[in-house]
Amino acid sequence: MHKLTILVENQPHEVEVTPNRAQPGEFTVFVDGHPLTVFVPDFDSPELVDWMIVDDRPYEFILSPDLRVAQIYSGRYDIVVRDKEAGGARPAVGDGRVKAPIPGLITRVYVEPGQGVDVGQPLLTLEAMKMENEIRAPIRGVVHHLAVQPGQTVALGEVMVEIQ
Amino acid sequence: MFKKILIANRGEIATRIIRTCREMGIWSVALYTPTDRDSLHVRLADEAHMLHSSNRYGDADEVLAIAKAVGAEAIHPGYGFLAEEADFAERCAAEGVVFIGPPPAVIRAVRNKMEAMETVKRAGHRVPVYAELPDAYADEAALQRAAARVGYPLVVKSARGGRGRGARVVMHPDKLVEAVRSARREAQLIYGDDHLYLERAIAPSHYLSVQVLADVHGNLVHLGEREGSLLRHNQKLIEESPSPALNDAQRRELWATAVDIARLFNFQNTGAVEFLVDSAGHFFFTEIKARIQIEHGVSEMVSGMDIVREQIRIAAGEPLSRTQEQIRLEGWAMHCRINAEDPWNDYLPSPGRLTRFRLPQGPDVRVDTYGYAGCAIPERFDPLLANLIVKGDDRAMCLSRMRRALMEFRIVGVQTNAPLHKQLIQHPAFVAGVYDTNFMARFRFDVSANTNEETCRDLVAIVAVAYLMRRRLDRPVTPPRFLSGWHRSARRLPSQWM
Repeated sequence: MHKLTILVENQPHEVEVTPNRAQPGEFTVFVDGHPLTVFVPDFDSPELVDWMIVDDRPYEFILSPDLRVAQIYSGRYDIVVRDKEAGGARPAVGDGRVKAPIPGLITRVYVEPGQGVDVGQPLLTLEAMKMENEIRAPIRGVVHHLAVQPGQTVALGEVMVEIQ
Repeated sequence: MFKKILIANRGEIATRIIRTCREMGIWSVALYTPTDRDSLHVRLADEAHMLHSSNRYGDADEVLAIAKAVGAEAIHPGYGFLAEEADFAERCAAEGVVFIGPPPAVIRAVRNKMEAMETVKRAGHRVPVYAELPDAYADEAALQRAAARVGYPLVVKSARGGRGRGARVVMHPDKLVEAVRSARREAQLIYGDDHLYLERAIAPSHYLSVQVLADVHGNLVHLGEREGSLLRHNQKLIEESPSPALNDAQRRELWATAVDIARLFNFQNTGAVEFLVDSAGHFFFTEIKARIQIEHGVSEMVSGMDIVREQIRIAAGEPLSRTQEQIRLEGWAMHCRINAEDPWNDYLPSPGRLTRFRLPQGPDVRVDTYGYAGCAIPERFDPLLANLIVKGDDRAMCLSRMRRALMEFRIVGVQTNAPLHKQLIQHPAFVAGVYDTNFMARFRFDVSANTNEETCRDLVAIVAVAYLMRRRLDRPVTPPRFLSGWHRSARRLPSQWM
């Protein structure tokens, strides 16, 4: 048995998972005390698993590699998994490093080092796929470091701005 | 009929054209850039050549050189790139290659939007108030005078235009200079030509286009109208045919006007005569698109005609396969543009590799796409990934079929705007068919997830099991298949080596 706390849209749920030894791919899961049977049809190839059957209800899903976002037919959910046995939760990363979400060309920069910014304030324009994409501040703070300038191309994940 | 056609385009439209070529027994020659090698059009073509020019599909020299080298008798330009390029069409003719599209003179006549509006106005049809922008853009006074003649609100448009890019709506004189400046920059970037004009905005309005086909023997038919009033950033999202905004009398008048206008220009091949319809139901001619359009599929669905097939037949000098009387417009068709962009993240483009790609199927569902499971979605070019088109007997059936198809469409690896489409087609105003160009300005994508208790519990159970399975994946283990006796003995070296 494995104990977890899982937050869906900030609502915590207490979970106990037990694999069914006799039936590979079947799990008994208690969610807040409700028993559910989860069957994983592609249990033999875990890297391919993209659907499960919960109490005879089939679900196709998309889980982000970091398990922070889950998409099912009814929408997209923010998720946090806390493993009670591994000890300590994953920190909710909220640092102010603004990384390039896609590779592209910086066309405009709206801020300068030392400038105070609010959440959602435009920082710069990143052009990719023939579209101008406004990159906004993820947190409130002060522009600590500006790593790019107009005309520069950035790679995926490259830090463009740091906010403190 | 041609034996070999070169397709000077990429993505879903190239794939679409190859399909018709194959059905007609025509050898198809595809082009691709190094980043587009994964696109389905390369795999489906009979022959595929890599482009080396930095202009990619828009490089007239390279495209023509390849066409000559492979002995293609005709070039289909698709849309964008070399479509609507009169100079290119002329060069094709000079080199003895047929350009599948209107003759160069027609392209020129309709490409200059202001002259086209003048021609249509002289023939007694309604056009919006417009003004050419003085060449001296720096002269703010001249700019303001031109704007005052047109009146506010107005739209700053690219004279080369196309695909809605570069257009800016200006509500007040204060914003004019900035709008012109940014429209110029965008027009220069996209079309390589910063020539602009001002047009009086008709808002709210409906964007309607009438699909026309014309052969070289003087036959000209229409395939009904399309409504494309749902736009985001000037790009259409959903198109449908017929339009829910017209009554039958208006519809017939619109068709007749479109045919008249197409005749004014001696139009040939296929195109769309575009109109704005104001809230009083008056329609204003805006332009003719002298090419096949992304949304041509809805017209094909309601008319049963293959527009690409007709284009090729017309270019080969054959007559249209049907007369107007033989064309029956039946049912209701709708088209959702599935873009690789993330509605939860400001619609940022979402390139990547498609790990899963399951198309919706079943009656009257069509998908035109260049994607397939395993293919990479490149980051340059347009985010359009797939055209999802469905048809029903009436609008209600069409809507429920679209809803069903969107649920069935499974795309993993890139984020798409399919969730946005699901919300749009269930919006009460859209369901009632009473939307116009203002609809998207008021519409907000609902980011909140449905937290129905049972669904939420099921999701938690799924995440828990997925988490445990991933933990197991992370740990180095010997897979069970490596523990079999067969495998153990196979690891021993054969005896003669010892």
